[in-house]
Amino acid sequence: MSAGADFLDRLLAAVPGSQADTPVKDYPTVRLSAPKDLLPAARLLKDELGFDYLEMVTAVDWLGPVNLGGFVSNPNPNPFTQKHPGPPVSPVAGPGVTYRPVLDLLWSFGDLVKNRKVFLRLEVPRDRAEAPSLTGLFPAADWQEREAFDLFGIRFAGHPNLIKILTPDFLQGHPLRKDYVHAKDRYDAE
Amino acid sequence: MQSEELIVTEGGLEMDTMFVNMGPQHPSTHGVLRLGLTLAGEVITKAFPDIGYLHRGTEKLMETRSYHQCVVLTDRWDYCSAMTNNLAFCLSAERLFGTQVPPRAQALRVVMCELNRIASHLILLGTYGIDIGALTPFLYTFREREMILDLYEKCCGARLTYNYIRLGGVAADIDSGWVAKCREFLEFFKPRLDEYDTLLSFNPIFLARTKDIGIISKETAVAWGLSGPNLRGSGVSYDVRKSEPYCGYEQYDFEVPLGASGSCWDRYFCRVQEMRQSVRIVEQALAELPTGELMAKGVPKIPKPPAGEAYAHVEAPRGDLGIFLVSDGGAAPYRLHVRAPCFINLAILQEILVGKKVADVIAVLGSFDIVLGEVDR
Repeated sequence: MSAGADFLDRLLAAVPGSQADTPVKDYPTVRLSAPKDLLPAARLLKDELGFDYLEMVTAVDWLGPVNLGGFVSNPNPNPFTQKHPGPPVSPVAGPGVTYRPVLDLLWSFGDLVKNRKVFLRLEVPRDRAEAPSLTGLFPAADWQEREAFDLFGIRFAGHPNLIKILTPDFLQGHPLRKDYVHAKDRYDAE
Repeated sequence: MQSEELIVTEGGLEMDTMFVNMGPQHPSTHGVLRLGLTLAGEVITKAFPDIGYLHRGTEKLMETRSYHQCVVLTDRWDYCSAMTNNLAFCLSAERLFGTQVPPRAQALRVVMCELNRIASHLILLGTYGIDIGALTPFLYTFREREMILDLYEKCCGARLTYNYIRLGGVAADIDSGWVAKCREFLEFFKPRLDEYDTLLSFNPIFLARTKDIGIISKETAVAWGLSGPNLRGSGVSYDVRKSEPYCGYEQYDFEVPLGASGSCWDRYFCRVQEMRQSVRIVEQALAELPTGELMAKGVPKIPKPPAGEAYAHVEAPRGDLGIFLVSDGGAAPYRLHVRAPCFINLAILQEILVGKKVADVIAVLGSFDIVLGEVDR
């Protein structure tokens, strides 16, 4: 997958401040330095380098271990063991990981003709989670950005219809954020 | 129903638009999908697919489950093809661990996933027929599907949610009796495919309802990120089994059927032809079934992969199913994202339904073959 990296060189040269990142196994990955670089990078990928297939839009919250208040019931009841150990959430990060208050956005672009794929990444602060929308270039971004907005609270500037998509209208907060705590609603047991 | 603003038609006629809820309880929406349709007469002027009724938050749940427990949850996305869900997750996790899967397990994975593709496409054939008004094919396709489920039951004990493909291999072996029974099924099944063509595929009423309806051009299909038979129905040759072979798909000889015009019928017929190819793949895999281990050595009871990120995708019956997995070195995935093909395939509805008649909504929606368990996750 690392072969044919000339498109990577062109991308890195055209977008100042971007750098090759630790690859998502085993695909070429580029980290952007600022949100304003996303649209030029995506346009270059689409129009000149042949990556016309937006495959995935998602994010990772690097705040730290998940808050178990985000789960409604007993996280992992097991009637067959006397004392179940609970969910396997590690309180400390493994080597090579630093918890930090950022959302790490991820876009994956595909080239269906040459069978190539490239990942773009961008870190945004958790309290100002904003990125440009790709809906103008790729209609496929429409629902995937709405999903990221719903579950992570990322605002995609320029999205024509940025509303909740998966969670119910009355649900407060963004469930995939690590500090999400479930607020009791009418469907919870008393 | 409620009436909306007045519009003036081309003939100068003043008329009300009407807002109609199709679903979430509607037999043709194949689950809990709601379509908010704004109609001018019988023509749709605006379509608003509303999803999330089946959202169970599996991505969040997996953040507190061990890797082995996650496999169980993957079954529940696309419950018509649970094997490929298992496989996508395991491939992604194995990439993270660097596990090498033994050859027999690889071949068994291919056999099971291809049988699952047949079973899943059979559901589409049957239910699409019902949507269009042909009740009979349903009875035939479910008879054949039942035989595949029997094979699964014999091998792994489950009929719908298999949890068969595990980290590092597969859960259970097959014996010579199973292989014989599977061959028997394939021999029974091949002539049935021709039967479906006479029953449904080339039935004049079915053709009238689906041919030239819901046409998606190549460019539109790629721009909206369609995958699987929906993309190939528009004539784009993209199949993960060919472009990034996994589990040894490069050894098998099979073709990728393409549609000509991107109509509902093309999407449907792609699937019929795919079943023929799946039969070929299963036959080849059974003929050269390697002997040996079922599980890779040294997969721990509570796996803790090194910190890192992995992406793996497979060609599920409904499209390109990808799993993006992040590990922080703990026993549970730090983050898991599903690139759910049904979810992404469904988004195009808001564009292509505009200008269609209400009756065509059912033909178009059915041809996408969605499973709401995967749309909402």
